[in-house]
Amino acid sequence: MSAHKSVKDLPEDGEKFDIKKVSKLLGMLFSVGILTTIACAVIFLNQEWRATMAYSWLFAFIFFFTLALGGLFWTLLHNATNSGWGVAVRRLMENLGLMLPWLFVFALPFVVIPDVRGALWEWMGERREMISEAEDYAASHLETETAEWEEKVREARARFSEVRSGIESGMAKATPGEKAFLQEKLDAETAAFDALKSEDAAPTVESIKAHHMKESNVLLYNKGGFLNMGFWFFRFIAYFVILTLLIRFLRGLSVRQDADGDEKRTMLARRMSCGFLPLFAVVTTFAVIDWLMCLDYTWFSTMWGVYLFAGSALSSMAVLVLVLTYLRNLGYLRDVVTEEHYHIMGKLMHAFVIFWAYISFSQYFLIWYANITEETRFFLMRNTGHWNTVSILLVVCHFFIPFLALLQKRVKTTPRLLCAVSLWMIAMHIIDMYWIVIPERGPSLGAGVVVPGAIFFDVLAFTAVGALLAYIFLRSLGKDSLYPCRDPRLEESINLMN
Amino acid sequence: MNGTATATAKPPFGYLAEFESVRAVYKAAEKVRDAGFKHWDVHSPFPIHGMDEAMGLGRSVLSWLVFFGGATGALTAFILQGFTQIALYPTIVQGKPANLNTIPAFFPVIFELTILFSAFTVLFGIMGLNQLPRLNHPLFSSKNFCRFSDDGFFIVIEGRDSKFSKEKTKAFLEEIGAKEVELVEDDA
Repeated sequence: MSAHKSVKDLPEDGEKFDIKKVSKLLGMLFSVGILTTIACAVIFLNQEWRATMAYSWLFAFIFFFTLALGGLFWTLLHNATNSGWGVAVRRLMENLGLMLPWLFVFALPFVVIPDVRGALWEWMGERREMISEAEDYAASHLETETAEWEEKVREARARFSEVRSGIESGMAKATPGEKAFLQEKLDAETAAFDALKSEDAAPTVESIKAHHMKESNVLLYNKGGFLNMGFWFFRFIAYFVILTLLIRFLRGLSVRQDADGDEKRTMLARRMSCGFLPLFAVVTTFAVIDWLMCLDYTWFSTMWGVYLFAGSALSSMAVLVLVLTYLRNLGYLRDVVTEEHYHIMGKLMHAFVIFWAYISFSQYFLIWYANITEETRFFLMRNTGHWNTVSILLVVCHFFIPFLALLQKRVKTTPRLLCAVSLWMIAMHIIDMYWIVIPERGPSLGAGVVVPGAIFFDVLAFTAVGALLAYIFLRSLGKDSLYPCRDPRLEESINLMN
Repeated sequence: MNGTATATAKPPFGYLAEFESVRAVYKAAEKVRDAGFKHWDVHSPFPIHGMDEAMGLGRSVLSWLVFFGGATGALTAFILQGFTQIALYPTIVQGKPANLNTIPAFFPVIFELTILFSAFTVLFGIMGLNQLPRLNHPLFSSKNFCRFSDDGFFIVIEGRDSKFSKEKTKAFLEEIGAKEVELVEDDA
């Protein structure tokens, strides 16, 4: 109030990020990205390394995917809650979310190379085997099973005529009450015999196949409605189509408002975002079920989607803090963003540190306490040997340390300190994702607990995806104004007070 | 009531100054702050953003109290469970070990007691720092003051402030834009 800032003092068309200022960095990112991607491609071409590399690539992909997903989430939340504080930083959230369509390009190895997805998601191979084995079995056993069935029908017919004549002779001297009882019995016997001899009961290739699959792998057979290749491809495409449409739509409204300042666009974004949020939740949940939970299709956790979401929102807020500080250091957004914005971003990070801990503990606690065999495998693997050290490290460093650090107001309002916490959070998120994906690799590939030397693949894949995405992200910053310059609530946002 | 007699017997509680608007009271608060008064307060029907700063209020010690209150809660729950479940009378549940590895089972109680102790510290901390509960307050004797919960914006400078002077403070309040200045007696 003492120094009320007016939007009229800001440049009329916002601030544009001049990518020429960072051309050196861009060049470096691009060359590093291309070189490491080529290296990854070479590794993918090698039959022996392909399966190992698949896990590295999934780890790198999923880390950056969760960041971009978080960008979309904050955009949606910002619009849906009609938030005033965040207008100044909303464009950055949109920019982060805009990486989602690009991530589809990085997800292509999973769709294009059968060996890659086969190495990651064993259910695909096992399902194929189960089906072909059942087909072979059905083809070779159709005759014998049909003969068996015919034999059974013959026996049943003999037995049925015996029973019927017995009942009919009994009927002759029965009282009316007994008669009704006998008639009922006869009807039941007739129905049972008719069912057995009917055409439907005759063994077919299909019925033998289904029965055989149920016998050989009941879990995979029962989950077949979800875990089948056609539906998997459909979902894979659907995730990216939906996410791309959501972010493109909101971004389009936002950018068009930069030109005409029409406040109806804000209203429309708010209304649509409320409907988009449930859709976002469904896509997020099923995407991480498909890509991470199904690394072991026998295991399941009902907290899985929200666990990944918690880490995603948290670490993308950390990325936003870092990007914001980077831009401010380059001289942008100085009049738009103040320490008050940092304070709120710090508070949101703090909230999500607690939320992450709450969700991950709930997931662990119920499984640990109930101790049911089919639920424990995930944690059994990560609570033994060196992985246990990582698990404990996550508890201490992903929760306790940032929780205590962010309790202090000074840390949240000082950009330098908040950046340090953000870097820490991102490092922890990397470890979290590593801890989710990589322990599956050794056992799945039959190479012990850890595949020796594979960590180089992990670093390489991470650098490749990271450098190229950073390059694309920085370039996308230059396209439009760095903040929504004609948003009706911009003035409220730049005068933010906690 | 004989005004002069009470005034000599007891110093007044202070001056109650009414202001026209949020903006006026905010500007005035900054001036009172700069004049160096210590015992004074602002009353308004709703919280005014940035008033803390305009009044020159520092950070409350409450957050520290709550931190230690919460920490005490966590420690209490941990000691209570650890002592009874590990040292005193181990209860074997589902074959789980009765040692520190069972700590996940303690977390819900640790969590709850942390919240409980923090909440109590907030409640009793606020009451203690505000010297509550009290049955009456000298300001309630002013008819005009009733409007603090409706549409009145007030600044009160208390008589116990070392800079307080009956004439100068009144003049000062009028000078910084008070619509009406009223002397409130301490009738307790």
